[in-house]
Amino acid sequence: MLNAETPKVQLTMAGVMKGAKGLGPISLFTIPFGIAFGTAAIERGVTSDQSIVMSLSVFSAAAQFAALDFWEGPLPAISLLLTVLAVGTRLILMGATLAPWLNRLPRPKRLLALSVLSDVNFADSYSALRRDERDIGRLAGGGLALCTFWVIGTAIGVIAGANLGDLGRFGIDVVMVAFFTSIAVGQWEGLKDILPSIVAAAVAVLGLTLLPPGWNIVLAAVAGGIAGVLWHER
Amino acid sequence: MSAEANAYLTIFLMAAVTYGTRIAGAELMTLIRITPRIEAFLKSMAVSVMVAIVASAVAQSGFRENTATLVAAAVMAVTRSSIAAVTAGMVVAAAWNWLV
Repeated sequence: MLNAETPKVQLTMAGVMKGAKGLGPISLFTIPFGIAFGTAAIERGVTSDQSIVMSLSVFSAAAQFAALDFWEGPLPAISLLLTVLAVGTRLILMGATLAPWLNRLPRPKRLLALSVLSDVNFADSYSALRRDERDIGRLAGGGLALCTFWVIGTAIGVIAGANLGDLGRFGIDVVMVAFFTSIAVGQWEGLKDILPSIVAAAVAVLGLTLLPPGWNIVLAAVAGGIAGVLWHER
Repeated sequence: MSAEANAYLTIFLMAAVTYGTRIAGAELMTLIRITPRIEAFLKSMAVSVMVAIVASAVAQSGFRENTATLVAAAVMAVTRSSIAAVTAGMVVAAAWNWLV
């Protein structure tokens, strides 16, 4: 993969612009996701300001949609945050995957570029880096474009969501589950994922009635992880 | 603590946890070797959390939503594009409203 002669890894403004332009068109598709999130957030009792602040600061469709499941009464912070963490394990893996290049940057630049890491710009940057493009600006710029449209979509959702009538007409109500489904299928690497998936699905469904809200997901994630290790070492 | 302050504290903690997951992968790689066992756990957990969320939703949804989910899964398997998969799911759900 990398060796001492590998070209220098950089983070430049030109790279940021290139990343933003390159992922701009795809980023537009985060607007309907944002609208779906904003609308769902209002329905769950999150205020407009809170929803927009959340999209801006958390910038993770998966974590934010998952959090909505917990958003009632006194917030069950621990199970909510554990679920956000479990959802975020994807990001840990992505960061580890990019580490051979990222870790050649000075730490402050690395921590800055990673603040907008997400599925889409990860996939884009990973293939670019493997083609010997060495500018991490592509990751940062792509992430900024995605985050911008995510926040714009959220704002549209919280402001206009209620006035758009039944969003089911546009199928927006299935955006969240379809998105999670696509990530699950996208991560699927074959036989070894069968056992963890079955365990996770079973624990999640059984836990729906047996556990406090949200804990079924946390427990299912851990059980699936353990199942994966058992399969790995069988 | 007021409900408002509590909500913002929760959002702040969500942002902090998510930022932590964004930087953790690269930082951990500077410190440790991720063993095959740890990697197997993380990878399976990443798949499992998504499957768990989908399974919970499917168990609580109707035929229309679940058909859309199934189509999204099929489109993802073929195209490997989340955008294509979500769009297909939306089209099915929207068409269902018009046709059924």
